Amino acid sequence: MDVKLQWEATSKRVITREEWERKLNDVKTRKEDMNKLVMNFLVTEGYVEAAEKFRMESGTEPDIDIATITDRMAVKKAVQCGNVEDAIEKVNDLNPEILDTNPQLFFHLQQQRLIELIRNGKVEEALEFAQEELAPRGEENQSFLEELEKTVALLAFEDVSNCPVGELLDISQRLKTASEVNAAILTSQSHEKDPKLPSLLKMLIWAQNQLDEKAAYPRINDLSTATLEDPAV
Amino acid sequence: MSTTTNDVNSNSSGGDLGRYFLERSRLGSARGPCDMDEDEEAPTELNTLNSSGGFLVMSPDKLSVKYTSVNLHGHDVGVVQANRPAPVKRLVYYFEIFVKDAGTKGQIAIGFTSENFKMRRQPGWEANSCGYHGDDGMLYRGQGKGEAFGPTYTSGDIVGGGINYASQEFFFTKNGAVVGTAYKELKVSLFPTIAVHSQNEEVHVNFGQKPFAFDLKEFEAQERMKLQMTIEKISLPTNVSHGIVRSYLLHYGYEDTLGSFDMATKSTVPPIYIAQENGSDEHDIVYALNQRKVLRQLIRKGEIHDAFDKLREWYPQIVQDDKSATCFLLHCQKFIELVRVGALEEAVKYGRLELAKFFELPGYEDLVKDCVALLAYQQPKESSVGYLLEEAQREVVADAVNAMILSTNPNLKDSCGCLHSYLERLLSQLTACCLERRSLNGDQGEAFHLHKYAVKRPCLGYPICNNVGFLGKIRVLSISLLFSCFLVTVIRFYRVSHLKFSSWLLAKFYVNINLDRILSHEEMIVATAEGTPIPNFSVEEDERARSNVVKNT
Repeated sequence: MDVKLQWEATSKRVITREEWERKLNDVKTRKEDMNKLVMNFLVTEGYVEAAEKFRMESGTEPDIDIATITDRMAVKKAVQCGNVEDAIEKVNDLNPEILDTNPQLFFHLQQQRLIELIRNGKVEEALEFAQEELAPRGEENQSFLEELEKTVALLAFEDVSNCPVGELLDISQRLKTASEVNAAILTSQSHEKDPKLPSLLKMLIWAQNQLDEKAAYPRINDLSTATLEDPAV
Repeated sequence: MSTTTNDVNSNSSGGDLGRYFLERSRLGSARGPCDMDEDEEAPTELNTLNSSGGFLVMSPDKLSVKYTSVNLHGHDVGVVQANRPAPVKRLVYYFEIFVKDAGTKGQIAIGFTSENFKMRRQPGWEANSCGYHGDDGMLYRGQGKGEAFGPTYTSGDIVGGGINYASQEFFFTKNGAVVGTAYKELKVSLFPTIAVHSQNEEVHVNFGQKPFAFDLKEFEAQERMKLQMTIEKISLPTNVSHGIVRSYLLHYGYEDTLGSFDMATKSTVPPIYIAQENGSDEHDIVYALNQRKVLRQLIRKGEIHDAFDKLREWYPQIVQDDKSATCFLLHCQKFIELVRVGALEEAVKYGRLELAKFFELPGYEDLVKDCVALLAYQQPKESSVGYLLEEAQREVVADAVNAMILSTNPNLKDSCGCLHSYLERLLSQLTACCLERRSLNGDQGEAFHLHKYAVKRPCLGYPICNNVGFLGKIRVLSISLLFSCFLVTVIRFYRVSHLKFSSWLLAKFYVNINLDRILSHEEMIVATAEGTPIPNFSVEEDERARSNVVKNT
């Protein structure tokens, strides 16, 4: 087999497809480890049923108690649906320390609650809530105060959909708060707040970029199809 | 690699495709590739042969030096290197010195030098060397002139020198704190080096045999964090992970999981849209999903007989050649399952009937030998072939059958797709890129090991540890302590079971038993190859012989 070793003007090493495939073939990835990655993804992202099924179908043990996922997802869902009060109660049922030790998260949840009140047109209730619950917290922290003012500004507009702070009413704000709660719960269970798989994919992009500096080799440019593309020589 | 692809296309039975899994089935027996990096030996003591003799005296433990003469010029420095160069296949190498006595002038240096360094000069004074000097706190890098670097150091100080392979930098510490870093231009192999150069200067060196004053673990953790932060900033296409997980479930036929996963992703707010490449391709991967699921379940439960039946019914082309790798793997597994439930007699019968024919076939013999060797042990699970009894072995067989079924798809474009899921291809690419980059970088730095990554518990990882405070650290420490105790026990156990086996081997020369006939693989090969049955074998005798052995030992 001929191993083409040639040096470009840039002195980059060129690795042919054949040679690279041989190197890929030498990598022995354990099925067990891949199963663990998939399980970690399902569990962290909160796919309870899928995780349960995967445990049965693959024999892979989850790295967290599956029962706690249901509770966590219930909290997340409550925020996503705008039931913030309900969510706060559920978090405290799960572990009261989560909100006690996380003033920023607690503030964001309260802020979300205010947003929901405004969304539902409960102006008086919203004002009362802002003054009694949120303002005292804002005094503790300058950035909280700014956030609070920004949120209260929603009340100043007749047509909130076109106002400068309108994005607070967007669904993405709920999702942002929901994922913040989700992460805090996971951390409280001494679990990573993000699944490992996306980090590995990022690492792949990084590793390919790094190797680009030294060599031309078959790359995977489209992660979703994992297709190897010939090096541009 | 490329030949595999061709053979499958030309050979409808696809025997060659199954061979891939034959290789995988033996992975469990070999020690994992994870241990490769730890093979690199680190310095343990000072080199007594290649030091500037005459100017200094070394202690008998080869870990401290003293300058005994009176220095007269720049060519009578007492220099000594470590017995080995600094290992490179890691993130960081580090060592420390303790200045017992700064002598009359405190002309002490710590640094790194190349193998053929002039052993009468201070590290940093000559090319291919680098040194942090105690008397002026300067860093010397072979230019003859020092550069302002850190504080001076003297009696009672602990000074450290290290190489950070990720950033390609030297770094030095004083009393546990980093004083500075400098780019490492030197690509040659470097020896930890210390120097003393005035009367009564005395220095002790610590190559890690004692705890360092500097928190190396924390330093490494921070270095990894820096890299992690850079990597985390990279953005990914939307929902790409979801797509990869989905294709994984499809590929291996985890039908139930897939069903739940699809349902869940569709019902989340907002629904997760997973791009599917195109209609026909999707249809192809769904190919035989239910059959693949059923077969995987049977094999995972150890019901190999039923799996064979189903295969004969659904995919006769896969099992028609009884000498194909897939059939072989299934036969081996059947044999293993019999051993697992203790049906040794039946196992022997089955082995003679179905496995014997594979002894002559190249590529098959290793696995078949390991299978038969299971009979040799009273507790096969703890033996060197115990890996066969693990779940992973069933998994390999199930994966082989899964791949074979995928390969029967008439619309198949690339048979490589049967072997590897997208996830596996991406992970292989990642590992290969990291390895290649390191090898183009003079083998310096850490390699990427998925295994370490996949099993890493977040609690032992870095980001959280930084927040848990003192108590948390203690908890982490105690966990690792517990784990090491566990490891020690495992190693002891392994030794004992090994010992038992070897003493049993010795004993079998003194005990007249039929057992050795079955246990010596070579004889079995000969016997079966010649078609002569193995004489007088029964399981009862086997048991009795074993208890004899135990008594004798």
